[in-house]
Amino acid sequence: MRVIKGAKLVAGTTLLALALAACGNATSTGEASGAEAVRMKIGEPQKLFSPGDTVESEGAEVMAAVFAPLVKYNDDKEVVNHVADSIKTSDNKVWTIKIKEGYKWHNGEPLIAQNYVDAWNYAANQENAQSANYFFGRVQGYADLNPGEGKTPSTKEMSGLKAVDETTFRVTLSQPFSQFGTMLGYTAFYPLPKAAFDEGTGKITDAYMKKPIGQGLFKMDAPYNKGTDQTINLSLFKDFPGDKPKFEKLQFKVYTSAETAWNDLQAGSVDIQEQLPPAAISTAKAELGERYIDQADAAIGYIGFPTIASRAYDDIRLRRAISMAIDRKTITETVFSGTRAPADDFLNPLLDGYRPGACKACVYDPDAARKLYAEANGPKTLELGSNMDNGHKEWIEAVANNLRSNLGITVNVTPFEKFQQILDELDAKKYTGMFRSGWLIDYPSPENYLTPVFSTGAIKDGSNYTGYSNPEFDELLVKGDTAATMEESLKYYQKADDLLLRDLPMIPIFYYRMNAAFSENVRGVKINLLNQVEWAQVEKVV
Amino acid sequence: MSDTAAPRARHAKHAKSFSRPPSKPRSGSSRGGRTAGGAKPASLWSDAWQDLRRRPLFIASAVLIGVILLMAVAPGLFTSVDPYDASTCRLGDARQAPSALHWFGTDNQGCDTYARTVYGASNSLLVGLCTTVATVAVGGLLGLVAGFRGGLPDALLSRVTEVFFAIPSVLGALLILAVFRAGTVWTVTLALAVLAWPMTFRIMRAAVITAKSQDYVIAARALGASNRRIMFRHVLPNSMASVIVVATINLGVFIAAEAGLSFLGVGIQSPEISWGLMIADARPRFLEAASPLLFPAAFLSVTVLAFIMLGDAVRDALDPKLR
Repeated sequence: MRVIKGAKLVAGTTLLALALAACGNATSTGEASGAEAVRMKIGEPQKLFSPGDTVESEGAEVMAAVFAPLVKYNDDKEVVNHVADSIKTSDNKVWTIKIKEGYKWHNGEPLIAQNYVDAWNYAANQENAQSANYFFGRVQGYADLNPGEGKTPSTKEMSGLKAVDETTFRVTLSQPFSQFGTMLGYTAFYPLPKAAFDEGTGKITDAYMKKPIGQGLFKMDAPYNKGTDQTINLSLFKDFPGDKPKFEKLQFKVYTSAETAWNDLQAGSVDIQEQLPPAAISTAKAELGERYIDQADAAIGYIGFPTIASRAYDDIRLRRAISMAIDRKTITETVFSGTRAPADDFLNPLLDGYRPGACKACVYDPDAARKLYAEANGPKTLELGSNMDNGHKEWIEAVANNLRSNLGITVNVTPFEKFQQILDELDAKKYTGMFRSGWLIDYPSPENYLTPVFSTGAIKDGSNYTGYSNPEFDELLVKGDTAATMEESLKYYQKADDLLLRDLPMIPIFYYRMNAAFSENVRGVKINLLNQVEWAQVEKVV
Repeated sequence: MSDTAAPRARHAKHAKSFSRPPSKPRSGSSRGGRTAGGAKPASLWSDAWQDLRRRPLFIASAVLIGVILLMAVAPGLFTSVDPYDASTCRLGDARQAPSALHWFGTDNQGCDTYARTVYGASNSLLVGLCTTVATVAVGGLLGLVAGFRGGLPDALLSRVTEVFFAIPSVLGALLILAVFRAGTVWTVTLALAVLAWPMTFRIMRAAVITAKSQDYVIAARALGASNRRIMFRHVLPNSMASVIVVATINLGVFIAAEAGLSFLGVGIQSPEISWGLMIADARPRFLEAASPLLFPAAFLSVTVLAFIMLGDAVRDALDPKLR
């Protein structure tokens, strides 16, 4: 993964599925304005745009073009200041952030520190029901804005967030957190201009969410009407102070199928596609040569057990048996043509903290699995739910076949139309079968593989859909977060990882790889750690 | 089609109904009626059978259907591999070309395509047959009532069917199946039958309206036959021909529709085996391995073709105009 001058990471809290799920169908019309634009495939954004509410990958991809983050990440996954001029702390508790001068909003307003304070207070306020609310939980005064359902917050501002002057603001955390600076590249930490808020109600206006005004490389040409618009058109923002790409127009094309987008890419009617359909991968390399990108990816694919909704999976031996019955190696080789790697830890090899072979239950051992399953007196029938788009169907079927033949049980594969549907039904405890899941980090810290997916606090606000709740685990995370150095933090995170490896609330199946492609119309396409294109480096071939 | 089939039926019954009055005290089975009409059984049905037996089209389609039926009932006769046993699939052997071991090659999951294709016949035929029976039973019965009674029941039922005709059938089936999470043979049958019965209804109704004004019906009524007797003894047998022709052709159409719905992911679900499902599974990797798609597709086409040919042959036999 390389990054360009500052690398960036942005991300999305994305349950990958969403991300990957998006592929679509498309549009062959609307080329008129796209004729000279650089066109990139995306899936339909889940919601309209606003930094605090855009937590899935498709919307985040658009946001990343419109906004510039405080920090980016370089090839070594280190934080590099971008809009931030400096980020200072002496105790990991009080952070002083100074922004560079010269940044302007697309409407001409200058970017000021107060813009960050406004945006973050807005996202952290429960009244505004923002999906990224949870990311501000470490800031002092967060609790005042989130007194709980049915209660009204007594204030609109977090006590720990203050603009010191035009270009400086200070964030006080309720507890030291060594990786706070790392988090700042995430979509949720983008600022908002004054123009975003309705003067009367103080809420972000619908008009703004359809056509967000940012301070990044591209400004939107027209409001985006979700559901009807198949394209999002943007133009280069001339007043952007940093490196600019060598083309003027950018167009995101909404697809529902990766296959359709791939066909369009080959035909030259779309220029960049981030995740190729699995079936295309075996031929893409030969066909595209340099225009095919295969790089390690920070995402993990899982199968989860809804222990919160069903008692059926309570026995750890049963979960271990299921994990051992899955032939990860053959699945990654045959189904994914080697574009996934078998997972053997809850942390991804891209980041520090990963230990090869840490997951003993991830080793394929059908005999032991069958024995263990019998000991645990596992059910004769299991249900495995997944969205079937984006090539998930094939590997889910392969897993189901593994379980059928190695455990001697019936496995019913339950298809869901969209990944969101699984999440909704898990939330409502309507669905009690095993489910596929995925996680793409929001910022490059091992902590991001643990807290948002497995901590007790994330059951309500985050992405803990299994309902795993272990006080010991939560405590280790707190110790890791508050440790003085990264090395020390890592030790605690690995201990927490050990608990997951023992309890297996989800079983890691594979590590993703990024398989992207671009057309002959563009050059220099780089995709960063957060699976977003580094636009400043992209060139249009005339 | 119903209009042309009906007149012929009329002639046949005509002679019959005149022969009937003397036998009134007897139970008056149609067989009795027929034999009274002449030494040779000259009814519509026996005529048609005589005619059919000599048609190559009929013989060819009947043989094909026979083989497929046998596959559906006893797949074990065709293959020793049980594709419902997941241990027969080895992912490592995925996408092999046809060989002596795997006649049709293996699919993306490493399962034997030949065994799956053979086992896939039963679900397809089951949906086709059940849907046909359901549409003929429901559409036929309601059509009989509506056509025979006329008036309010007819008006009501006709309006109802018009509503159904207004629904595009694939879209309608998708909607109905969306209600059920996991599609099965029965939900697919339900969805298809709900949308297809109005066609049978219309054909039946038209045939019944033609039949009920015929002389033999008037004669039967004059002789004091009850409505029910007239309906089932005289009108129904003379109105069935066109319904049977359409039902036979539709059977093939339903099988294709099932494959279509399964292909779209709302029909029969894995681990059940269906041709449509196999085609859907093989499609993304068609360029790498064509046989897992081509073989079930070929079986599907041949089956549908066989039923449509059979329908054609039956129509020719029952339709005097084409004779």
